[in-house]
Amino acid sequence: MAPPTILRKRKAATRDVPESSDVESDAEFGDGLLEGILSQSEDSENDSAEEGSEEEEDEEEDDEELSGLDSDEIPSDEDEEMDDENGGLVKNNGTKADEKDSNVAQPAAEDDEDKPNYRVTTDANGGVRYEYDEIDPVYDSDDSDAPVTTNTIGNIPLSFYDSYPHIGYDINGKKIMRPAKGEALDALLDSIEVPKGWTGLTDPATGKPLNLSQEELEILRRIQANEVPEEGYDPYPATVEYFTGIEEVMPLSAAPEPKRRFLPSKHEAKRVMKIVRAIREGRILPYRPPEEREEEEDEEVHYDIWQDEQPRPEHVMNIPAPKMAPPGYDLSYNPPPEYLPTKAEKQAWESTDPEDREKEYLPTGYDSLRKVPAYDRFIKERFERSLDLYLAPRVRKNRLNIDPASLLPKLPRPEELKPFPTVCSTLFRGHEGRVRSLALDPSGTWLASGGDDGTVRVWEASTGRQIWSAKIGDEDAVDAVRWRPGREAVILSAAAGEDIYLIVPPIMDPETETISRELVDAGFGYATNATQPLTANGQRKDPVAKWARPGSRLEDEGVLLKITVRTTVKVISWHRRGDFFSTVSPTAQRSAVAIHTLSKHLTQIPFRRLPGLPQTVQFHPSRPLFFVATQRTIRSYDLQKQELVKIIQPGARWISSFDIHPGGDNLIVGSYDRRLLWHDLDLSTRPYKTMRFHQKAIRAVKYHKGGFPLFADASDDGSLQIFHGKVVGDMMENATIVPVKVLKGHKVKNALGVMDIDWHPREPWCVSAGADGTCRLWM
Amino acid sequence: MARIKKKGESGQAKNFITRTQAVRKLQVSLPDFRKLCIWKGIYPREPRNKKKASKTSNAATTFYYTKDIQYLLHEPLLKKFREQKALEKKISKALGRGDAHDAQRLERNASRPEKTGKTKYTLDHVIRERYPTFIDALRDLDDCLSMLFLFANLPSTPTVPAKMIARCERLCLEFQHYLIVSNSLRKSFLSIKGIYYQATIQGQDILWLVPYRFNQRVTGDVDFRIMGTFVEFYQTLLGFVNFRLYTSIGLVYPPKFDKNRDDQGAELGAFSLEANGVGIIEQPKQITNGPSKPDPKLQAEIDKLMLQLNEPEKEPAAEQTVANDEEEEQPTDTIDKFEPVAPGGDILPQPSYSATDPSTLFSNFTFFLSRETPRQPIEFILRAFGCKRIGWDAVLGDGAYTHNELDPSITHQIVDRPPIQVDAESEKEVEDNQTAQRLKPGSRVPGRIYVQPQWIWDSVNDEELKRPDLYAPGAQLPPHLSPFVKKVRGQYDPSAPLNEQEREGEELEADIQEPKLLTEMEVDATAEGMDVAGSEDESGASDEEADNFAGFSDAEEEEEEEDEATAAAKQRQRELEAELSGVALKENDVDPRAKAKADARKKAAKKAKEEEEELERAKMMMSRKKRKILEKMVYSNKKKDAEAETLRAKRRKIEKSGKAAPRA
Repeated sequence: MAPPTILRKRKAATRDVPESSDVESDAEFGDGLLEGILSQSEDSENDSAEEGSEEEEDEEEDDEELSGLDSDEIPSDEDEEMDDENGGLVKNNGTKADEKDSNVAQPAAEDDEDKPNYRVTTDANGGVRYEYDEIDPVYDSDDSDAPVTTNTIGNIPLSFYDSYPHIGYDINGKKIMRPAKGEALDALLDSIEVPKGWTGLTDPATGKPLNLSQEELEILRRIQANEVPEEGYDPYPATVEYFTGIEEVMPLSAAPEPKRRFLPSKHEAKRVMKIVRAIREGRILPYRPPEEREEEEDEEVHYDIWQDEQPRPEHVMNIPAPKMAPPGYDLSYNPPPEYLPTKAEKQAWESTDPEDREKEYLPTGYDSLRKVPAYDRFIKERFERSLDLYLAPRVRKNRLNIDPASLLPKLPRPEELKPFPTVCSTLFRGHEGRVRSLALDPSGTWLASGGDDGTVRVWEASTGRQIWSAKIGDEDAVDAVRWRPGREAVILSAAAGEDIYLIVPPIMDPETETISRELVDAGFGYATNATQPLTANGQRKDPVAKWARPGSRLEDEGVLLKITVRTTVKVISWHRRGDFFSTVSPTAQRSAVAIHTLSKHLTQIPFRRLPGLPQTVQFHPSRPLFFVATQRTIRSYDLQKQELVKIIQPGARWISSFDIHPGGDNLIVGSYDRRLLWHDLDLSTRPYKTMRFHQKAIRAVKYHKGGFPLFADASDDGSLQIFHGKVVGDMMENATIVPVKVLKGHKVKNALGVMDIDWHPREPWCVSAGADGTCRLWM
Repeated sequence: MARIKKKGESGQAKNFITRTQAVRKLQVSLPDFRKLCIWKGIYPREPRNKKKASKTSNAATTFYYTKDIQYLLHEPLLKKFREQKALEKKISKALGRGDAHDAQRLERNASRPEKTGKTKYTLDHVIRERYPTFIDALRDLDDCLSMLFLFANLPSTPTVPAKMIARCERLCLEFQHYLIVSNSLRKSFLSIKGIYYQATIQGQDILWLVPYRFNQRVTGDVDFRIMGTFVEFYQTLLGFVNFRLYTSIGLVYPPKFDKNRDDQGAELGAFSLEANGVGIIEQPKQITNGPSKPDPKLQAEIDKLMLQLNEPEKEPAAEQTVANDEEEEQPTDTIDKFEPVAPGGDILPQPSYSATDPSTLFSNFTFFLSRETPRQPIEFILRAFGCKRIGWDAVLGDGAYTHNELDPSITHQIVDRPPIQVDAESEKEVEDNQTAQRLKPGSRVPGRIYVQPQWIWDSVNDEELKRPDLYAPGAQLPPHLSPFVKKVRGQYDPSAPLNEQEREGEELEADIQEPKLLTEMEVDATAEGMDVAGSEDESGASDEEADNFAGFSDAEEEEEEEDEATAAAKQRQRELEAELSGVALKENDVDPRAKAKADARKKAAKKAKEEEEELERAKMMMSRKKRKILEKMVYSNKKKDAEAETLRAKRRKIEKSGKAAPRA
């Protein structure tokens, strides 16, 4: 309950009050008195306004109490404010300390005049005990803001008292007992005789049954009704206009009321008369029924909006909406029977998603007009059309309304492109394992081939008969077979492992054979006479290659010379004069490309360092240029000036082979990434045409060197493709490239198809070497 | 030095703004913006480069042309929208205050078009802006008419107020009246969707679609507010167009509208046209005959008359040819018609050449519509082609020339029910029955031509009266063909005989394929589908994929030749053997027809192969871009050809089975 706690508080607060007042009340009495007066007057006003119904005695006491309480705290607020606002008002208040003192002193001064508000009794121990009256806190008292604790235990859990018969102590130190737990009979009696304000609830704080008074119930009702709990509270009081509603004792102006306040307005009278006259004359009607207005609205206005029409040119950006397509035959209610869908078509139409359907309707035939039902998508279609009209982005599209055939380029007729090889005429069987390389001799009579079995074989090209064969590689495969150019001698070069063999096969007439043997042997002696390059420490440098006789067994067979280099040779390429040939051994670091001079038995390494792995090399057919293909680029070097001329970039990832057109200005490149690229050396370093007609990597490409505008490539997919590639002498005209033939015949073995290809020197025939162990002549 | 151009300040970035930006700029709500766009004819654009036009992400946005939106900024309607919005706010505020009187007063100012069908604003100026000349308005009338005719046939709902429907109906009927008076209806087509009409007014072809008279199925996904906005605009437009059309032929607009007759279902008959200076334009007089019975004498006379009337129909071709022969020598001003003599030439467009004036096609006849026929379209179309006297059954509504089926002046009766075999006795009874107004079902009045409704449409489209016997009740009707299809060479034309449009050897091929036609088609379809998929793949991965070419197949050809040679040799060998053994060689082992067929097939296959090779070769030499274009074109052409071919195949089959209906 409220009173005891307040008492306790009061006790605490006022304990030192008498002392302080005693000490300092006299010192600055006047000031303190003034303060006290101010606070008292305020308090009394408040009190009088709010608690009119309370008893007078209480009022007096309360006043005193409150003034004491208030003076305790309110001024502290005030002085803070004063500190902030006007530090200069010191003359009113004196010093801060003074003020405080005076506050404290004031109640004491009052108390002195009044009787003490406590009784002195003896407590349990026989000591002096002050007993105070209970304080009824009015609404304004500060304590009402604090949460009302209804028991005296303070802020400890109620459960501490669970084992005791009481809850807390009263101000006099007596136990506040729990109400006795009623017996069943008592409870029954209670339930029969419901006391006023009985709720049936138990106050958890006190453990007593919770009874509510009439006022409290009334407050609850108002809260439930969403009203302000306080009775008689007006949330919307009528505003009191300050200047008009409150009559000032001292008015702002002392001027007497003007005369016009007491005279009727002439102007108003005039205006009123005007209206009166108008009403009398019927010019204005005092009342008009509103229905008339609606009726008069209904009339529509029709006029010719295009009376003075002027044509306006269409705006450039205007795109008129396309018209709806006119109906076709299939939309007829009675279409020709061929337009009616078959069962399968109907099913297909029904099974497709409505959005994917080509037509949103199914042609249906009715044998008479009366059987035609309503079209169920009519509104939907019109709505969609409306949406299209205002929501669909419009764009002008140029429709190519031409015959597609006119787009096709004009190509020469295949008859004009003839001759080119079309059929396989001869099959060369004999190799075991793949045939890795093959070459037709400059006369076109003999075909040399070398393969995995380590043999070099020479065949008669027209018949397919094997004429000569020699096993040069013991365990190495023959990687390259090339004839020396020139008709006066017949020399075959073959590479197996690190060795290059020069062979004069005993197949020709003796004269040619002797010339050939002389040519091969002419170089002996040069190597020994030549000054050998010395290494840094003065020792003789190891020769790059060793030129020697291969041994008597091979010599008997016609293999005359063996050149041993450091790493496996993959490619041999002859200079057109027949004195030089170049070899490539891609795995070698520095000595990958070697140029051999037949007449001097000399081997040179032209490149100290190469960017990338060299793949293949070629001599230019007419000029002293040397082409080296690395994985990605082809570099052309001038052999005389010994400088780099051009870097050709075909754009392929891994070049497999390339060939130079006999004219010298064009180049074809084959790559492992299935591209065949035609380069025009005069045009650009980039390819002029890229052809990708193979399924697998391209192994070899070759131009026809004998006057036919043909070239061919061989691929791992087992096919050769023959192209017609005409180079015109005119610089202005680009080469025409026409694919003409796919030659299929080689079988694909271990993902390898055709390994090498060569053209006949005069006829439009070509030979190919297959991974299936055969060579084929196509004509 | 020229100023450096900044990004996003000129060109496409400036020319296009997104819809959100446009709405913000105009400071209107989205529905209001939609309305404005519909009325002012402003539509989104597809910028040539979307990336350049959009400043932000590449999300799908609609772009408007900036100048269009700027042009909207000055729109008076925008002000009206804002006023309306302010008024709505005031009303809601008043209602919130509980000031019912104030709200009511304000409500009077508000326009409630959904209730009254009237708006506070007019769209007159919009019409004038969008269509600076009358021809422009006519050009854009297709959608307007289709929409209004649809709304004239809709049931009234809260979203579609009855007043709107009534106004649409009136406007449509007025427009029809103009077409009737000016005889400008040209073609019509009965489709499964509804009836298409085409009129030519001042050289503009206007095509619109009218639904059949049924309750329309309204689905939930149709927003009638949008349609209503369109209808509002179209109503204004058609009002002005009607006014202009009426005044152009000297009639008063609006025509007098008889509410009572309209309530009785007179429709077209509820309007009476007045000339604005000359006098009332002649309307068919309402003749109400008393109940009459076919008098034998009268009947004979009528029959005679009918014979005379029918004569020109029965032998129109002969007469026309005679007339043509006579006229041949005389020079005329009219445009001569150019007919292609040999196939293969292009067809040049020529102004339509009509032998008959549309106003006289049905002018001599009196029609009677049986009660199962759709009265409104038939009445409209007959009137538009010059018919003055149309009677119909009383159930079809008011406004008929006669409701009496036995009226002796009737020359044609439109019937759309199967014929019922009637006994002779019952017929007699009918004749005996003096008071019978209506004939017994199935019986016929002599001297009258009974036709199905399609007869009217086909006659109108061909501008000549068709043979009525083809359209007799119960007869299998000839197919009803769309008059709007323009004949394109290479496309299937159902009216032309089959052999004229076939490819060479198509029939032979078909013969071979016929036994498994269906399966073949299925296979084709799947193969096509695969092809399509393949091409799609190619577009993505063509960089990696190798184009393969087949080269020339000389080898195979030679093989084939060899085959033939060996076959011939074998034959000879057999003959020799037979001669030696003295036995006559059996001749029947080689059927000449089968051989011819096989030869044709071989030839065609060879030719096709050659052509294909040639094409492949040429294609390989094209740039990728061009090749794509070519492939697209070839694809679409092939699709069209395939369509035409399936149609021809179907027709061939139908003709062979002999179930085909006669072609008119």
